[in-house]
Amino acid sequence: MIQGMLGAFRELDAAVDAIEALKKDRTGEITVYTPTPRHELEHAVHPPVSPVRKFTLAGGLFGAIAGYWMAIWCSEYWPLVVGGKAISTWIPYTVFSFELMVLIGGLSTVAGLFICAGIPRLTMTVGYDGRFSHGEYGVWVQCAPEKLKDAEAILRRCGAVEVHGAQ
Amino acid sequence: MATIARPTDDMPRPNIAKAGLQLPAVKDYEQVDREIMATLRPTKGWFAALTIAIVCLMIGAAAWTYQIHEGLGVAGYNPPVMWGVYIVTFVFWIGIGHAGTLISAILYLFRAGFRTTIYRCAEAMTVFAVLTAGLFPILHLGRPWKFFWLVPYPNWRLLWPQFKSPLVWDVFAISTYLTISTTFLFIGLIPDVAVLRDAEKNPIKKQIFSALSFGWRNSEAEWRHFARAYLFLAAFSTPLVLSVHSVVSFDFAMALVPGWHTTIFAPYFVAGAIFSGMGMVFTIIIPIRKFFKLQHYVTLNHLDAGAKLCLFTSMVVGCAYMVEFFIGWYGAVPVEQEYWWNRVFGQWWWAAWIMLTCNMILPLSLFSQSLRRNPTWLFILSLFINLGMWFERFVIIVPGLSHEYEPWQWSTYVPTFVDYSILIGSFGWFFMWFLLFIRQLPVIAISEVKEIVPPRLRRVHPYAPAPEGEFASDTPGAHA
Repeated sequence: MIQGMLGAFRELDAAVDAIEALKKDRTGEITVYTPTPRHELEHAVHPPVSPVRKFTLAGGLFGAIAGYWMAIWCSEYWPLVVGGKAISTWIPYTVFSFELMVLIGGLSTVAGLFICAGIPRLTMTVGYDGRFSHGEYGVWVQCAPEKLKDAEAILRRCGAVEVHGAQ
Repeated sequence: MATIARPTDDMPRPNIAKAGLQLPAVKDYEQVDREIMATLRPTKGWFAALTIAIVCLMIGAAAWTYQIHEGLGVAGYNPPVMWGVYIVTFVFWIGIGHAGTLISAILYLFRAGFRTTIYRCAEAMTVFAVLTAGLFPILHLGRPWKFFWLVPYPNWRLLWPQFKSPLVWDVFAISTYLTISTTFLFIGLIPDVAVLRDAEKNPIKKQIFSALSFGWRNSEAEWRHFARAYLFLAAFSTPLVLSVHSVVSFDFAMALVPGWHTTIFAPYFVAGAIFSGMGMVFTIIIPIRKFFKLQHYVTLNHLDAGAKLCLFTSMVVGCAYMVEFFIGWYGAVPVEQEYWWNRVFGQWWWAAWIMLTCNMILPLSLFSQSLRRNPTWLFILSLFINLGMWFERFVIIVPGLSHEYEPWQWSTYVPTFVDYSILIGSFGWFFMWFLLFIRQLPVIAISEVKEIVPPRLRRVHPYAPAPEGEFASDTPGAHA
């Protein structure tokens, strides 16, 4: 059972203060909702670097190799000799390698985004409110039942316009 | 381009944006949501424009039906000119599709602030322009129901792909470009669709927006992965923009036709594509900002910066024209020299001078700051640029094919009403999709605009901009 406390903030600096206070108090795991990415929130949360880049690198390398492989394999299996030239030549086949690198690299980046961000998501998670896509900031702290009172006090002290618990 | 330098007090410089305050008339996030979502309401003008677009599409569809029934002969093809209006229009639309990814990807990597409010339109324009271009290889077929024969895969019909052919490169380049451009557009839309979802009252629409937003909930972790993915997609799209029109140019440059077989084609085509794409961006964005009253989002500073990009690419294209003429003269190949003379002063002089006037001479007006900041002039100029860039492709393709090496290869080309109807139909097809898009989805990126709007704070930020002044020309109601 997920238990926690949600605070809605109108001001960005109030949300930042709340995050810093909750982290200092070690209240629990914090999730921040924001209508647009803000460096202030990122610095307060101090998250790890996104692993999406690994998906991009893997997809790009695979695509580059697959492009060469596809062109060479098809040419060798169904050879078309023109003007006595070599059946497989790497210079024109670089076009296929490049295009598939971009295609598969781009699509695997999107796959990485989906996997890391946990989307598609069929239902909204506990703590989300439609206001957080418009203009307000949400700070959701998931914590043990005995810490709920402390979390509520911190959120109110930092200027939350609305605080409520959820489970 | 707009810089972030601060204007000095004694010398007012309205062309220079102020650091941290790009949209002075946009005060808070709620205003952004309210004003951009207001563009989704249908208006009489929107219905009128959609009706015109559908009528144009019907004209094209009727002409295509007639062509299928009668055969390709009704399209005005006459050996040796077997590439005419269809391939001209194909290259034209591919070129239009370039500015979108340029604005959304390359300018994103360069942190060019003026892209923020125009990139959504430009991305949608890219996707629909490439969709339109993709129709033309099919329209060019006598038996379009066999179109899948064009797809290069080994098969039991004994049609083997020749991987050294630029036409096969073209299939890969354009299909990759369409896929990545569509993905880029769609990924950028996810947070904005979440805004629509949360504001929607109609339960059916809410369900649709919920599905399209993939359950996006604006968490900091989602934004972090999103920003990373967007950056890498932009990094992939940047060389893709440059490669696609280079590959399209190889369709010509790898051939031995006079005027085509030249190494300048790749950069020449890329610059032309960006130039024509910027022209179409102005054609689209200027009416949108006027009819939806978005002048305080797409400001004169943004139009000014776009006009400078337009001027720069116009000069690159003009330089390429001059280099082509020079090489034709300096190469001392009689066939090439005759081709160039024929192109500019002979059989095709009228087309070449339309091209030169629209693409080289008229854009020079953008050296004037007052014209760069005049939306009416920019819109008129954009129509000339569209015309000029269509004729550029005509001048490249038709004169080359109509005047090759041997006298028996000399001919002419006269487009028929079928060619013109299908050309009109392509504009109808493009604008129909674009109009449907702007009716259903935000025409300006809501979440990115919020990034450049100062957030609400309890304490005054030490670097907060001055609340008033300096930007009177960018406030609503102060525009032409």
